[in-house]
Amino acid sequence: MTTMSRGSAGHGAELPDELAVLVERVGRSTVEIVSWNGRGLGAGVIWEGGIVITNAHVVSAGEAEVCLPGGDALPARVIALHESRDLAALQLRRGAAGLLAAEAGDSDALRPGELVLALGHPWGLRAQASLGVVHRASVPGAGGRRWIEADVRLAPGNSGGPLADARGRVVGINTMVAHGLALAVPSRAVSRFLRGARLAPAA
Amino acid sequence: MTAASESALGALATLSRDLADAVERAAPSIVAIDARARIPSSGVLWRDGVVVTADHTIRREESISVRLEGGSTASAVLVGRDPSTDLAVLRLDGGAGRPAALGDGAALRPGHVVVAVGRPGADVTASFGIVSASSGEWRTWRGGRLDRFIRLDMAIHDGFSGGALVNERGAVVGVNTSGLARAQPITIPVSTVDRVMRELLEKGRVARGYLGLAMQGIRLPDAVAGALRLPSRHALMVMGVEERSPAADAGVMIGDVLLAFDDRALRDPADLLAALGPESVGHVARARVLRAGEPREIEITIRERRGGGA
Repeated sequence: MTTMSRGSAGHGAELPDELAVLVERVGRSTVEIVSWNGRGLGAGVIWEGGIVITNAHVVSAGEAEVCLPGGDALPARVIALHESRDLAALQLRRGAAGLLAAEAGDSDALRPGELVLALGHPWGLRAQASLGVVHRASVPGAGGRRWIEADVRLAPGNSGGPLADARGRVVGINTMVAHGLALAVPSRAVSRFLRGARLAPAA
Repeated sequence: MTAASESALGALATLSRDLADAVERAAPSIVAIDARARIPSSGVLWRDGVVVTADHTIRREESISVRLEGGSTASAVLVGRDPSTDLAVLRLDGGAGRPAALGDGAALRPGHVVVAVGRPGADVTASFGIVSASSGEWRTWRGGRLDRFIRLDMAIHDGFSGGALVNERGAVVGVNTSGLARAQPITIPVSTVDRVMRELLEKGRVARGYLGLAMQGIRLPDAVAGALRLPSRHALMVMGVEERSPAADAGVMIGDVLLAFDDRALRDPADLLAALGPESVGHVARARVLRAGEPREIEITIRERRGGGA
């Protein structure tokens, strides 16, 4: 605790440092998905069990290469795909040991105004962070599917990357931009997707 | 092992919770107004039964309905609108809702974290930003007076205009609009909203003074200013005089140079607009005019403006 405490509601000088810690923490579980010729396709999140979650529109083919935060590029295989929910699960062919899985947050508990961090590789630039808030916690989309709507700046290359809460818990997978707002697949939907693909124990 | 479980991010989590609490606290006073096509606009329940919104979002003056938190709706009557400050006031026919907890917009400083809360439909929305600039009294391009000019660094999404700017404690500190500063996001401070709302509730309109002049700022030649011992080189040249206007009736002519208005120096046409507030109607103003190199004084009786112009 420092002697500086200018924040009017009790959050003072720790804030800038904590933002950096948050970015670093979420970054440890964020990967880049690249094509065989090295072109960036999007981002992904290391989930429990060494599985990488990304958008289906990022990895339509059966194979992809995953660049880990440390820089290693590993081949991976698509083991589950849900086109309409726009989710894909990848299994690394080797080197899965030592991966740091993201902690999944509870997307159902999100409230508008809550801080969120998006991490990805917009326009091919590695690991960029943008900060914003939940705009609407749950908006209905086609087929009764629900989305998190966030006031946070995304660009191509953010697709498949994490939307994390203020504690670094991944609450959504950034998927698209509509009317200037980010739409993310809720973490609950990711859990359902993994259970449906029998990649996670049934709840 | 997961990445997030190591140490707590206390300050960040506290700020995040404060912001979400602030939105939750403001939400019962944020309403959706159905007075245009496509999407409803946002409004703020300012006191019991009275809603304030951004005037430019109101496209229909009749059969307006207002949706409150929880989904109930109430019909509303347009009490009045003031395009000069981009504010409109509606009176609800019944309907509950909780009036906004008002804060002090003047206390906002550049860098303060703020949230814009709107309701462009059933749910409230939150947008994140900071105060990017805050300065003193500001005259809008339509001649209205804002007690402070508060600009926001924030993305403008559906429902921004007419919604509330909320500080991290959940107090409403202004009504947002993108319609006053070239599509830039600004907030109209609480004191200005209070003043305009009272005026609209009392009279149904905000009166504006009217002279009937078109003017342009000029810089006088040093020789002229020196010979006449003028305190300032700046003045306004009359480019047009509307027929049967107060200025025309007083004998003001095209080509006259306005040096001062009620002893107030004139540098920009906005300086004259500043003298045409609600209280100016009926006032006999003394205009110091330069005509054919000779200074003279002209008395102009300010009338109430109907339609646009100064």
